[in-house]
Amino acid sequence: MKKGFKELCHYMDVTGQCIKMAFMTIIEYPSSIAGWLISNPLQFIMGFAIIKFVVESFGEINGWNYGQLAFLYGISVISHALSMIFFVQGWFMGYYVIYGDFDQYLTRPLGVLYQFFFTNINIFGITDLIPGIIVFIYGCAKCQLAITPLFLIQVIIMLVGATLIRGGIYILIGSTSFHTRSAVDFGQYTQEIMDKTTMYPISMYPESMQFILTYLIPVGWVSFYPVSALLGVENTVLNGLAVPFVTLAVGLVVMILAGAYFTSGLKKYESAGN
Amino acid sequence: MKKYMYILKTQIIKTMTYEFNVYGNIIMQTIIMITSAYFWKALYRKQETVGGVDADSMLTYIIISSLLSVLLITNVEKRIEQSVIKGTVATDMMRPINIFGGYFAEDIGSIIALFFQNMVPIFIIGSLFIKVPKMADISALPLFIISVVESFLINWLIAALFGMIAFTAINIDALIQVKKHLLRLLSGSIIPIWFFPEKVANVLEALPFVYIYQLPLSIYIGKGDRAEQLRGMGIQFVWLVILAALFLYVQKRATRKVMVQGG
Repeated sequence: MKKGFKELCHYMDVTGQCIKMAFMTIIEYPSSIAGWLISNPLQFIMGFAIIKFVVESFGEINGWNYGQLAFLYGISVISHALSMIFFVQGWFMGYYVIYGDFDQYLTRPLGVLYQFFFTNINIFGITDLIPGIIVFIYGCAKCQLAITPLFLIQVIIMLVGATLIRGGIYILIGSTSFHTRSAVDFGQYTQEIMDKTTMYPISMYPESMQFILTYLIPVGWVSFYPVSALLGVENTVLNGLAVPFVTLAVGLVVMILAGAYFTSGLKKYESAGN
Repeated sequence: MKKYMYILKTQIIKTMTYEFNVYGNIIMQTIIMITSAYFWKALYRKQETVGGVDADSMLTYIIISSLLSVLLITNVEKRIEQSVIKGTVATDMMRPINIFGGYFAEDIGSIIALFFQNMVPIFIIGSLFIKVPKMADISALPLFIISVVESFLINWLIAALFGMIAFTAINIDALIQVKKHLLRLLSGSIIPIWFFPEKVANVLEALPFVYIYQLPLSIYIGKGDRAEQLRGMGIQFVWLVILAALFLYVQKRATRKVMVQGG
């Protein structure tokens, strides 16, 4: 028990140092900071503008009005931002595999997956978070929601779950590189698909696709199911106050599976140059 | 010319090396295309036509847009950045070819490989699962082909101009992202700009982005009359000339003071 606690403290300490270092490295290239500060908010502001224009041209999207869509969009962007901060490295795992960069992690007495993500923590993700929070608050105001403590807890639980689902999926996709031995950079595609399935109600897709998004690749739980339960928009497979907790459970399951897949892949890892 | 053909050939072989990437790309792009198709189907459920375009044309638009996006992949900006960061730009410049000519040949090579690897499969899948993307007016085919070639060149020049920022700024990952988002959203590749409010649409029509995706696509689905399309192509050509001139000017200045990192 005491040993476990000590180890946890050690991990916390390392995490603190990593974050400090991450802050230092981001100021290495000034143009880069300026770029991210423009690029990420720009992307989401424009994405949101498109929803507005579409709603103005067509009315509702599959029974969701403008305010509800804003709420959904906000949740989607915030969970995206959190997953960018902690798990974006998953996108580049292939390069680590073919260039043999896992060597450095294997020699240190800390969990490989932990090191992989936390020594490369991506502080710039905050630039995604801010527009997300703005749109989310805007959506709350448009839907005239009563902010109760229960509501806040639900939102936070939902966001943690959503972040874990996204992170798990990145790890799963990245870990395929151990088996294919190629640097697959599916980051852009993954994000585009995630955008399409988390920013809009997935009930507009055919049932076979909804089935896949609910049970096989559980992206539906990132935003669609919890938000439609919270706002009471649609009758889905599951309703009620507990849905955000289901999201958390799904997130944990995805993460555990991803961790197992990563570990099994790491056994096949044989560094570069052999 | 022979040298460039050689680079081109090498790049084709390089692009075809990893089988898994090929299938992965096809699957991912197919998913994106099909989700877009259902997005538009859901929107058109209650309306017949919006902005003078019906649901059927919109589906054609989506399929052809997916195909075009394969054609409009550029690697030049990333290539310049990498060679500046790693310092290989020095050796690149010592070669007896123009470095931008070399990068252009590489991009053409990738596209030739991707044409068979991605475009053909995506076309077949799109035709089977969504609809056969028939051209509205077959007599506009020459116009469509010319506008696609021009849009490819415009796209490449914009990418190269962005890439040249790396000569002074070194790390341009973020700027590449800015460019990517601007292009995706303002070019009409996802949402045609005729759905935008009139004022915004007017501004966008003056920028080069809509001439990359939306103009060839409008010609394909037969939106607007011939005069309108020809006017669009005129503006497209003007942009091509402006960007080419800018490219030649900046190229001369930027390559003169290349900073080599780590030698």
